[in-house]
Amino acid sequence: MPQAGLVLLLLVGLGIVLTGLPAAIVLIGVASAGAAFGVLTNTIPLALLSALPGRLVNLFENDLLQALPLYVLMGLLLDRLPVAEALYRSSVALLPRGPAAQLTSAMGLGALLGPMNGSVGASVLGLSRVVAPRLETQGVPEPTRAALVAVASTLGVVIPPSLVLILLGDAMLSAHTIAVTTAARSDRVINTQDVFHGALGPAGLFLAACLIVAWLVGRRLPATAMPDDPPSRGQKILALVAIVFLLVLLGGVAAGLFYAVEAAAMGAFVLFAGGVVAGRLRGPALREVLAQAMATTGALFALLIAATTLTLVLRMLGTDRLVADWVTALPGGDLTVTAIVLGAIGLSAFVLDAFEIIFVIVPIVIPPLLIRVADARWVAVLVLLTLQTSFLLPPFGYALMMVRGTLRYQASLGALVRALTPFLLAQWLVLATVLLFPQLTHLGENAADRTRGSGPPVSSDEINRRLQDMLTPIPDDPIDLGPPK
Amino acid sequence: MTRLIGGLDRLVAAILSGGRWLLLPVVALLFLQWPLRDLVRNYSREANDLGQWIFALYVALAFTAATRAHTHLAADTVARMYSERTRARLARAGALLGLMPWALFVILGGANLVLSSLSVLEKFADTSNPGYFLIKFAVWVLAGLILCQAIIDIARPRGSA
Repeated sequence: MPQAGLVLLLLVGLGIVLTGLPAAIVLIGVASAGAAFGVLTNTIPLALLSALPGRLVNLFENDLLQALPLYVLMGLLLDRLPVAEALYRSSVALLPRGPAAQLTSAMGLGALLGPMNGSVGASVLGLSRVVAPRLETQGVPEPTRAALVAVASTLGVVIPPSLVLILLGDAMLSAHTIAVTTAARSDRVINTQDVFHGALGPAGLFLAACLIVAWLVGRRLPATAMPDDPPSRGQKILALVAIVFLLVLLGGVAAGLFYAVEAAAMGAFVLFAGGVVAGRLRGPALREVLAQAMATTGALFALLIAATTLTLVLRMLGTDRLVADWVTALPGGDLTVTAIVLGAIGLSAFVLDAFEIIFVIVPIVIPPLLIRVADARWVAVLVLLTLQTSFLLPPFGYALMMVRGTLRYQASLGALVRALTPFLLAQWLVLATVLLFPQLTHLGENAADRTRGSGPPVSSDEINRRLQDMLTPIPDDPIDLGPPK
Repeated sequence: MTRLIGGLDRLVAAILSGGRWLLLPVVALLFLQWPLRDLVRNYSREANDLGQWIFALYVALAFTAATRAHTHLAADTVARMYSERTRARLARAGALLGLMPWALFVILGGANLVLSSLSVLEKFADTSNPGYFLIKFAVWVLAGLILCQAIIDIARPRGSA
């Protein structure tokens, strides 16, 4: 009864929007209802549901997911330590005086801190505290301030080694494994490192576009008589040390010297040690940071657990097979099919957050897409860019909602959308460019890095047959229901 | 009944209060991975295994910590228009119809998986280091705490959880 799964997905969207309940609880509730329905209608054997605890164990022993609390901790520490302020003031001091310098520096700060913060929410909080008040004193209008903080907060999504990128990398690994197995291709399965490298070019393009737009927007604003706050000597030194450390971390990950999780651990450890030495993490302050870190980590992990439950139920109902049939039947070549699937992901972004999309939508729509489209790195980067857009789409974009709440935004939503438009246009331009020029995701790639094998392409009829072979029977051993690791 | 719920609430709070410190060894052990592997060339797998089961216990506790701190991601643009009473009822329904049956199912459905691992104090398959059974036990910790918190929230709702 695959259509029942589509009803469940619809219920998830409606439940999240209409009840206001946490998305994780809606996902778990809808999945439980779907499982009960499946058991009562004999669509799902009760014994198969015992695969769920095994899937939870898989989550607990996933090396990559260990990065999650590390990023959360880094975000909280960056919000408490004076690093962000030192970087921002030093950057403003380097540029010609005026609003343009403030706006461009804010964007640059988002790019520097985003990958370390991991979460868009943490970036919004940090930039709202450090940047927004100074933009206000420089006479930058409220919608422009809010738009700038929102866009800068999402830069960490596309710049490695962000948390979204790590989680998407893991989801892509599972999806690509299914696709390669189904299509019997000799491709090397994509990993997080491939997604990192693939994202570097497009992320650089988008960052450059954002810096230019911020500068141009700032140039059109009237200059005020308010003097910029010059950085102290200590702040300059701190900014320099922070930049060197960040470059070492990013460079080390990009060069493959250490894994993203290790880079995150180094960042968290150094920040934590700095906080302790500076006397900012003692007693109640330390307990508060740890409590917040646990609560934020729990929110993200709850989504993962809930989505794992829902995707298991959807698979048992055969909904993934139905979606695979649809994707297989889509007319057109790689470009058309990819654009249609990205459009579906973009539509789901109106009601789902990027993390929910990664955990719920990607495991359903990406495996069949990768069966048809062999360039997994290209697809991964396109999904990443689409997810970044999803954070900024009015009215439910997560970054927008966070910024409106954090800055106590009073102006109209229309004014915010107008202020956001040049950045969104730049974002879509980069997305379209990557869509049309897949080679942008393969910059500097050597033969060993390639994921595509050299086997002959498989016909669509053959893909259909293999999909049916792979997806129809439910394994006897329920533990084997999960995608190959 | 009120005293029982109060006691359960304090127990969950105490477990979470102690559990938040687990993050520090996770950070330290993962930080040590690279120097142990590439510089010392020893003990990195031990550090990895140790970090893995501490991480499992930590995230098992974290779900309920998020519920109590109201940090779960939610889109409440529409729900803000509801009365406090309606939102409290929705939260209670979410705990009763969503979390409780799920947690009960995970506890019962995972009994074989957890008990068989606990009975032999299962080790990590690749390294034979001890502690793998704690990763499976974390599934029960996760579900047990979610169940306790659901009972607390149904008996004494915390608004829109």
